[in-house]
Amino acid sequence: MTASPTINGPAAGASPAERRLLRTAAPQSGFAPWKDPSKQPIIRFENVTKRFGDFVAVDNITLDIYEREFFALLGPSGCGKTTLLRMLAGFEKPTEGRVIVEGKDITDLAPYERSNINMMFQSYALFPHMTVERNVGFGLRQEGMPEDQIKARVNEAMSLVELGKFAHRKPHQLSGGQQQRVALARAIAKKPKLMLLDEPLGALDKKLRNQAQFELMRIQEQTGTTFVIVTHDQEEAMTVASRIAVMNQGRLEQVSTPGEIYESPQSRYVAQFIGDVNIMEGKVVSLPGDGTVEITPASGDGRIFKAGACEGLFVGQQVWLSVRPEKFRISLDPPQSNVNVVKGRVDDVGYLGSISHYHVHTEAGNRVTALRANSSHNVERAISWDDTVWLEWPAESAVVLKA
Amino acid sequence: MRKWMVIAAPYVWLLLFFLIPFFIVFKISLSESEISIPPYTPVFSLSEGWESISTKLGQLDFEKYAFIFSDELYTSSYWSSLKIAAVATFLTLLIAYPLAYGMARAPKEWQPTLMMFVILPFWTSFLIRVYAWIGILKNEGLLNAFLLHIGAISEPLQIMNTTTAVYIGIVYSYLPFMVLPLYASLEKIDGRLLEAAEDLGSPPWKAFWQVTFPLSIPGIVAGCFLVFIPATGEFVIPDLLGGSETLMIGKTLWSEFFNNRDWPVASAVAVLLLLVLIVPIVAFQWAQQRAREAGR
Amino acid sequence: MNTRFTWFNVTAIVLGFAFLYIPILILVIYSFNESKLVTVWGGFSTKWYAGLLENEQLMDAAWITLQVAFISATIATVLGTMAALVLVRMGRFPGRTLFSGMIFAPLVMPEVITGLSLLLLFVAINFDRGFWTIVLAHATFTMCFAAVVVQARLTDFDSRVEEAAMDLGASPVGTFFQVTLPIIAPSVISAWLLAFTLSLDDLVIASFTTGPSATTLPMKIYSQVRLGVTPEINAISTIMIAFVTVGVLIASYMTKLQSSRMERDRRAADAAAN
Repeated sequence: MTASPTINGPAAGASPAERRLLRTAAPQSGFAPWKDPSKQPIIRFENVTKRFGDFVAVDNITLDIYEREFFALLGPSGCGKTTLLRMLAGFEKPTEGRVIVEGKDITDLAPYERSNINMMFQSYALFPHMTVERNVGFGLRQEGMPEDQIKARVNEAMSLVELGKFAHRKPHQLSGGQQQRVALARAIAKKPKLMLLDEPLGALDKKLRNQAQFELMRIQEQTGTTFVIVTHDQEEAMTVASRIAVMNQGRLEQVSTPGEIYESPQSRYVAQFIGDVNIMEGKVVSLPGDGTVEITPASGDGRIFKAGACEGLFVGQQVWLSVRPEKFRISLDPPQSNVNVVKGRVDDVGYLGSISHYHVHTEAGNRVTALRANSSHNVERAISWDDTVWLEWPAESAVVLKA
Repeated sequence: MRKWMVIAAPYVWLLLFFLIPFFIVFKISLSESEISIPPYTPVFSLSEGWESISTKLGQLDFEKYAFIFSDELYTSSYWSSLKIAAVATFLTLLIAYPLAYGMARAPKEWQPTLMMFVILPFWTSFLIRVYAWIGILKNEGLLNAFLLHIGAISEPLQIMNTTTAVYIGIVYSYLPFMVLPLYASLEKIDGRLLEAAEDLGSPPWKAFWQVTFPLSIPGIVAGCFLVFIPATGEFVIPDLLGGSETLMIGKTLWSEFFNNRDWPVASAVAVLLLLVLIVPIVAFQWAQQRAREAGR
Repeated sequence: MNTRFTWFNVTAIVLGFAFLYIPILILVIYSFNESKLVTVWGGFSTKWYAGLLENEQLMDAAWITLQVAFISATIATVLGTMAALVLVRMGRFPGRTLFSGMIFAPLVMPEVITGLSLLLLFVAINFDRGFWTIVLAHATFTMCFAAVVVQARLTDFDSRVEEAAMDLGASPVGTFFQVTLPIIAPSVISAWLLAFTLSLDDLVIASFTTGPSATTLPMKIYSQVRLGVTPEINAISTIMIAFVTVGVLIASYMTKLQSSRMERDRRAADAAAN
């Protein structure tokens, strides 16, 4: 078994999923146009490829995004997510393939000809020589809208982001959080059908970023605009998005709701990118036919792991089992069952207040991470360094990965 | 396509007023000298048609070049230009380095002011700055008057109209060109590097040679090119401060053109000067390119 | 760097600046000398300045020089700004290497070569030499300096700001005039000032490209300098130095004022947000 903490490993591994549950319980819970075959997508990428010289930034991507979605493109830097977004805005032209928005092929339109698409830029790109008011009204002025209407629309946009009293300041007179809101108001003032956000909160500190995420969600719901956000922060994507596309080296690894991505990742890459995860290699030994699969670990000590089967498995196939740290039950006493159990020694304990991390060195010679809530009801003796422990997990919380 | 218009305007301008003139210089360097206006016989002109040009191409002679190489005046002009420029560049570096170093280590709030005072002379007329030295260096000038007054010398020193005066003029005029790149590279050096070196047991003077100096080499290289290249072709300084024994190619070209009115020879001198300078110019561009890429 | 004044720093700076400024100071002081002899102080006088105004040839030359500098600097700034845009924003295009070579080569090209080559061009195309040939020559060599100044500014400003304008519906031309130009304006102004001063100063290129009809101030000063040092040249030099010094001091004071105001605003905004 190997523990694979991700770069953005959250302090509480379960928190994005928990937050997600709170959100899906909200009024939007029935919102799933991607499951409705009668719905037309608002954005359609058709076999889009973008090359920069020899480098393939976007590799043959086909993707549908639906109206009113808050769609996140998630991946490490250089995975092609920003290129995909810039093709929507018109700053890059696909080398191959088409980009269709509202049924219209916009592949060859210049950015300024795409009046229903606006973008909020990374590090905001505010016009430094214009006041907040002029910044927000810039797009409307390009359309030649009469000044009184511009004023009304600017006020509307600025009150939406709660920025009214800063109208006459220049960007350098604003704090980072205020600048971020000006950027948002400027893009929203044109009332686009489609709003693109390129790492919109990347420059904010963590506390402000959490506030701003909920504000983005509020504004998205209030205006009914379709949002496409690019981010490398998996927690941010989990928080705001209706669906997430996880990208890797120009390809889509998985496109699903945050809950599905977290609970049933389709590849090791996705499992490792979203939250902390322990991944172990194994071979399929039997498929009993009751919707489960039995796997023997590569370390080959005759133990059997059981998990829910996925499609297309065959006996003898190499697979990977992924178990989230919080799915382990860690105990000082050997459990009754012999299935889905590993024995090990505690190497390291990380106390994080409400929860603790345990790094366990298993008998098979690997390191895994387990989590346990530090509730006051815990009558067991505290687990400490060099304790021998058993880790056990329910078959349904392990995910079999074919790639 | 507006994009192409934006490219075309400066491009065509430079082709017309920068690149084509060089070909004309080359062409005239192959022409015959004549006492008329203009004082040369075109070897060929485009109006004669291609056939005539190609036959004449076969007859082209490099007579002017042969003349330049056979006449010691020209060969020693080239040689002494390079020598004077190289020595002057080195002297400029010696004076500029402590100044740039002192500026880079002066308190932060003082640095913009110091910078401005280095740039200020650059904005004032070159000619005037060279002229200012005549009053100081000549035999009855202020320097000699001062030295005689304090009794350091009993006879006025002959500095004016010597190569020494040319060195002083070049160092003085080109000092800002050396100080600015040096300052830019010294100012970028993270002070913690020196602290780290000292922490690891290197005394300050050693830390300078082990850390500061190697890191300032890009500035030294840029500054030396910026002084050496224009100094090689300098005219005003050797003309006003130098004497008859100071041969510099810029001056030779000028007198060939204005005094002897021999345009073909002047052109051939220019072509050869360009050939001499093309190596440092290309090397300089290459070094700048590398510095830019490393900076990214 | 650990920045403070040490004895070494102070000595280096004082000696360096003494070397840079003492010759200029002496020149200025002797422009007020009553005596015609440069080494002898004959008392304070402004008579050489009064004499300048009566020297019609000198005044004519000064007027021509200012006109040439004004027109050529304006052409150079427009072309140089375009060239900077091409270098920074246009990406790759056929002939880009030649283009950047032609921008950078004139910066280090000996003036005698530039002057001679332009003169031979004007002769070859039978262009009447005089005022306008100096303007063309100056515009050509100063546009490269202008391009470098504007290029430095364009390189460090975020091109996303321009993309934002286009995203909001501004055409490329609209973007340039509404966003790019206002932002790079300070560098465009410095480019113009640099081109203007370079043109004012130039002796060699003007001498090659002029005809009998146009004599510039540096040419006039040069021909007098060759005859020897006179207080009158000191006087005109002093005027030119004063002119430039005042300009540079004002410009740097304005920049300092503006950047400290920006800094203060930014700090106030951050303090208010916390």
